[in-house]
Amino acid sequence: MSALARLVGLKAPPEHKADALPVSHLGPGVAITGILDCEGALHVHGLVRGRINTDRLVVGLDGFVEGDVVAREVVVEGRLLGRIFGHTVTLDASANVTGRVFHHIVTVVKGAQFEGRMPWRPLNFFESLDQLPEGQA
Amino acid sequence: MSVFNRNERDTGTASPAATASEMPSRPPVTEARPAPPPIQTASAVAQRTHSVSVISKALKITGQLESTEDIQIDGEIDGDVRGVSVKVGSNAKIKGTVYGQEVELAGTVDGRIEAKKVVLTSTAHMSGDVVHQDIRIDSGAFIDGHCKPDYGKTPAAKASVTTATRSAEKANGSAQPA
Repeated sequence: MSALARLVGLKAPPEHKADALPVSHLGPGVAITGILDCEGALHVHGLVRGRINTDRLVVGLDGFVEGDVVAREVVVEGRLLGRIFGHTVTLDASANVTGRVFHHIVTVVKGAQFEGRMPWRPLNFFESLDQLPEGQA
Repeated sequence: MSVFNRNERDTGTASPAATASEMPSRPPVTEARPAPPPIQTASAVAQRTHSVSVISKALKITGQLESTEDIQIDGEIDGDVRGVSVKVGSNAKIKGTVYGQEVELAGTVDGRIEAKKVVLTSTAHMSGDVVHQDIRIDSGAFIDGHCKPDYGKTPAAKASVTTATRSAEKANGSAQPA
């Protein structure tokens, strides 16, 4: 097996897993205060105040997340206030993010509002993210 | 001739053939530009596929959940749920109080249900009290707790009573300014 094939093979399972698992969808009328632990995709169009652990997080246009987010993939189209720990982070054109974005791969679409810092981290940083580093957001 | 306009003569003489050959190919390109398929963001797709909010089986919430719209719960919730129409799926587990107008339970609730209309399906497992105005219990449902009918105490019932009396007064023509 070539190195590339192995890399692809390694990358494929988590994506399939995320697809197979049902998507949790929080509509605009939903407000949650607390901790969300999810092993799949999570779409937030409402309000979440607290911590989110998930595979894939999409904060929709009318979504608002206040707190720390730990996810493999994060897409922000709405508002987010807090820290993001994501391997792949995308801030869409309509995004409004305040805080720190710890990332390995980041995309910021033209038009996105961002205030804060975007520290790059190596892959092993995200693999060992059991305990979040404390500090100011 | 200056350096700056030396290319103008070339375009002037050589371009008619070139532009003529380009012309037919150009318009389709410009026509195709303004009409790309509308870009569908992940949220737009999600909004089309889900009309209600869904807490999937892979999601565990520790804390409070409030909703002003219909909600389907298949996951695990450790805390209170406040909704309008709450459907608790057969694999769902809730530890806390479920408030709502309509609550349909097919899963497990360890706590309390307070709703106008309560439906316990055959797979329901309810540990705790149920406060209701209207209840349906299917054969096979498990209940360990009291079922308390509660008429007129919930805010929704009060509102409906007051509006009913007001409309009755109006109908009688005896409505006096208080």
